[in-house]
Amino acid sequence: MHTQHTYCVWVVERLSLKYGVLGLLKEQPLHGYEVKNRFEAMLGGTWDVNIGQIYTTLQRLERDGLVRPVGHRGDRGKLLYELSPEGQKALDEWLATPESGPQQLHEEIYVKLLLATRIANGDLKGMLARQKRAYLQRLRDLNRLEEGARRDGRIDLARLVRGALLHTEADLKWMDELSSERFGTEGAKTE
Amino acid sequence: MDGRIVFRTFRDGGGENGVSELVRLTDVTKVYQGGITGALNGVSVSIEKGEFTAIMGPSGSGKSTMLNLVAGVDRPTSGTVVVGGTDLGKLGEAGLARFRRDHIGFVFQFFYLLPNLTALENVLIPAQLRGDSANGRARELMGRLGINEVANRYPARLSGGQQQRVAIARALINQPTLLLADEPTGALDTRSGEKVMELLGELHRDGQTVLLVTHDAKLATRHATRVISVMDGTIVDDARLESPERAAAEVIRVRGEEASR
Repeated sequence: MHTQHTYCVWVVERLSLKYGVLGLLKEQPLHGYEVKNRFEAMLGGTWDVNIGQIYTTLQRLERDGLVRPVGHRGDRGKLLYELSPEGQKALDEWLATPESGPQQLHEEIYVKLLLATRIANGDLKGMLARQKRAYLQRLRDLNRLEEGARRDGRIDLARLVRGALLHTEADLKWMDELSSERFGTEGAKTE
Repeated sequence: MDGRIVFRTFRDGGGENGVSELVRLTDVTKVYQGGITGALNGVSVSIEKGEFTAIMGPSGSGKSTMLNLVAGVDRPTSGTVVVGGTDLGKLGEAGLARFRRDHIGFVFQFFYLLPNLTALENVLIPAQLRGDSANGRARELMGRLGINEVANRYPARLSGGQQQRVAIARALINQPTLLLADEPTGALDTRSGEKVMELLGELHRDGQTVLLVTHDAKLATRHATRVISVMDGTIVDDARLESPERAAAEVIRVRGEEASR
């Protein structure tokens, strides 16, 4: 179960990186380290990639015919890559495909909630209150991040932060809903 | 009791050592006859001068009741409400009216502008009740709130956002010690709501104490530094929010964490 989950997450990440790289190469041909810098800048520092991952990704993309080197193969670090027509097609298809897989719930609160419901009903209220506080602080941090992105003219990043804001708002509503339920009776059935 | 004497030192908040308490509710209970929601059950809380506090909670939780008690538009069934060192329970109706006029600015969800008065005339009402001719100040306020050009229009010819800004100018005309806002963005579209909250944030940065009731956590946390959560008539949480400079990666991770481990 654990392995399966890890694998699933890993595949999703690799796909985002793969198509992220394709998307950047659509703008212009780039070296490996330019891809890394631009990818991280695009994500506004919310995703660190190491250069090894970038080179591995570029090699796979080249193997699959989705990117191709521009000019001569010399110093690998200086090798420019461009998008191939197949890569363009793959990118367009990916962008046009809605996300229909299982919803990704990465945060530990989901497991904490399950355990608290099963084994520690008494402290559930406290747990929810503490989590709610953390979400409020996160909302404030996200608000500041969104303001910063707008100030910098990064509308794309502001949109991403906005998504995170709305997600956190939903999490907060969830905490409120859980807090207002009567867990003494409702929480008893756990299977 | 004469409100004028009571409030002699009011503007300074009456505090010592830098921190001054502006509002204190002590064991406040409010019971409504006939099962109307919004009752309070033993609420104690204090608000300091210069704070921007948001009160949040589901409808009927008692958050608006708290605001009304602080504003002196409603009286508690038991317990005390002290604002600026003055126990509102000891004021008669006239004293309470003076208190509201001189020290409270109130902004509502549905603006409550008088339809047969222009925007400027609406703004001037509280000053006129005090015998002030506050024309200059009204113009200055309206300029700051971006509604100078609609000063001579009637409310029906204003957008929701403009109407709320007129209402804010009206709330501020007497330089209130405390600005109260009950769901001020509730009747506005997202953009207008953000602008109104932006204004409240600016006023707070200039030193205005703001007490806001809202259900919008996104907007509340953008400006408020304290969030009081109310549920079923009691305070269930009182969170002070920090404002450190955080790198984006400390706030959001876009699917990068697992891979970099």
